Amino acid sequence: MSKVNCTLRTFLLLFLLALLLACAMVSRAATTSDADSLLKRSDTYRNGWPSFVTRVKITNFESGKPDEEKLYEVSQKGTDKTYVEFMSPREKGRHLLMLGDDMWVYLPDTSRPVRITLLERLSGDASNGDVARTNYSADYTPVYMRAEKVGAEQCDVLELTAKRKGATYQRILYWIRVEDARPVRAEFYLTSGKHIKTAIFDEYAESNGKLLLRKMTLYDEIRHNSHSVLDYSSPTHRELPDKLFYQGRTDRY
Amino acid sequence: MKLRFYISAVMVASVMIAARSHAQDAPTSSESHYSTRYSVAVIDDATFYSNLSVPIPSTLNQVLLEPSFNVNINHRWSFSTSLIGATTTYSATTTQLHVKETYAGLSAGDFDFLAGRKLVRWGTGYAFTAAGVLDPPRIATNPSDRLNLNEGRDMVKADWVRGQHALTLAWSTAALAQKGTNLRDTTAFRYNVLVHGFDTSLIAGNDRGGDSFGALTFTRVVGQAWEIHGEAAWREHEAILLGAKYTMASGVTFIGEFYTPPNIAYYRDSSVSPLAGRQHYGFLNASKTRLRELPGWKEWDLSGEMVINLDDHSYTGVFDVSRWFGKHVSAYVHAEIPVGSKTSEYGAAPYSNSTSTGIRFQL
Repeated sequence: MSKVNCTLRTFLLLFLLALLLACAMVSRAATTSDADSLLKRSDTYRNGWPSFVTRVKITNFESGKPDEEKLYEVSQKGTDKTYVEFMSPREKGRHLLMLGDDMWVYLPDTSRPVRITLLERLSGDASNGDVARTNYSADYTPVYMRAEKVGAEQCDVLELTAKRKGATYQRILYWIRVEDARPVRAEFYLTSGKHIKTAIFDEYAESNGKLLLRKMTLYDEIRHNSHSVLDYSSPTHRELPDKLFYQGRTDRY
Repeated sequence: MKLRFYISAVMVASVMIAARSHAQDAPTSSESHYSTRYSVAVIDDATFYSNLSVPIPSTLNQVLLEPSFNVNINHRWSFSTSLIGATTTYSATTTQLHVKETYAGLSAGDFDFLAGRKLVRWGTGYAFTAAGVLDPPRIATNPSDRLNLNEGRDMVKADWVRGQHALTLAWSTAALAQKGTNLRDTTAFRYNVLVHGFDTSLIAGNDRGGDSFGALTFTRVVGQAWEIHGEAAWREHEAILLGAKYTMASGVTFIGEFYTPPNIAYYRDSSVSPLAGRQHYGFLNASKTRLRELPGWKEWDLSGEMVINLDDHSYTGVFDVSRWFGKHVSAYVHAEIPVGSKTSEYGAAPYSNSTSTGIRFQL
């Protein structure tokens, strides 16, 4: 009889453990799934339509004073096609094309597409990747970390890990407002683990029926007296032809 | 003659097919009907030659006015023009107007058509090219065409682009080319595809009354810091170009290229003897734009390079420094130092060094 009890107890114990393990796995899957959908929702604040054009003005500040201003027109289609036209006098005539992880820059003096590497993509306060790559759900795998307050905002914190080596950053810590999945803050890390930039998503505004990011500030975490303000304007839904994103096209305008 | 007829027929048929697809991708009503872009550059460049071995003036001054204008209508029709007005003071003062580019374009469905003078770059090399059959000539000591003096070829061109695939057919006439150039009417075809990160092109064509040619080009980014590129061409004999670019975390960029063209009239530089046999060249460049990401430093761009003829061991060292002043004005110094025996390719230059200095206004 005691032998039967012992077997029964062992069976019950194993069953309980299996149940706990299954619950933990389901809970983990649910959390990952929630993180995925949360990240996709947060992306819509920077990518209002599947195909659109917007203008970005970048003002670099040194020790609090405006130092440099640049203007770009960004055309984006889907999650992996971006075409950037440089509009400021110093860079006029330049274009940048990003297809997945591949990137080309078109220079006016050569009108030859020049392949650029990931390290070239990262140069400057606001890098090419910051302007051209705004769909985090396409490039990163999210994991839910914790709930945390940023100022008065209750946020969910996600850890984003690059799906490929070609992503602009290897790791991002991302604060998303619980109320509406609006991005609030992001910290960007290199493969070495070095924290290089922090983004604060400052302002949102309604445009063509969509609530979209209007202003973002990027703080340089290596040179602490430098930051860049990115102002987004004139976002417009436009059906962009695929051939705009063809890398061999040199007659770019 | 027949070839030209067939090319014209193919292009007319393509325009008709494309025009029929016009209505399928008309722009939405919310978009503007036209948009324009313009730019103007004014450059004053003075070049000083030292230790001249021939009796020629030692100073060359150029004032260049370079306006350009583009208009795009309904994302379908486009017109672009880019001119160069140049006043040159050397042994005499001359003023000339050059047409860098002037062309009209039609974009319809998967097709793009273009007619006029256009700068095309099919070669992937930085300092040299074996496959750039319609490209302006590459000058290894001035690969970025620092004064923007390159002119396009007069051509009609049709592109078909779908997904990662693109086909181009171009016919270029030499009738309007500047005197003294050895350009010929050229018919060329190109297939370009991006596959597994390789941007690859196959090129084939014919120079009227001359050679047929074929070429393969590629570029690829490897890892975080390397870019590799290459060209293999056949025109009577093979020509090979292999190159790589490496970017350091600090932003310093190195470019190296090896190039070996056959010694035929098409590839040969005027300073190389037809009897010299196949030539081999090396190119090394180190550059840094925005010297440091600090005020007072990020206005500076620096570059140094060396072009070497590996057969006669002559070389030219080139140094460039430029600095921006505000948004519109920059100043620069460009120096070239040729080294080698008087019978060598680079040593044959009639000066021991040339220094150019100038100021550029850009709107």
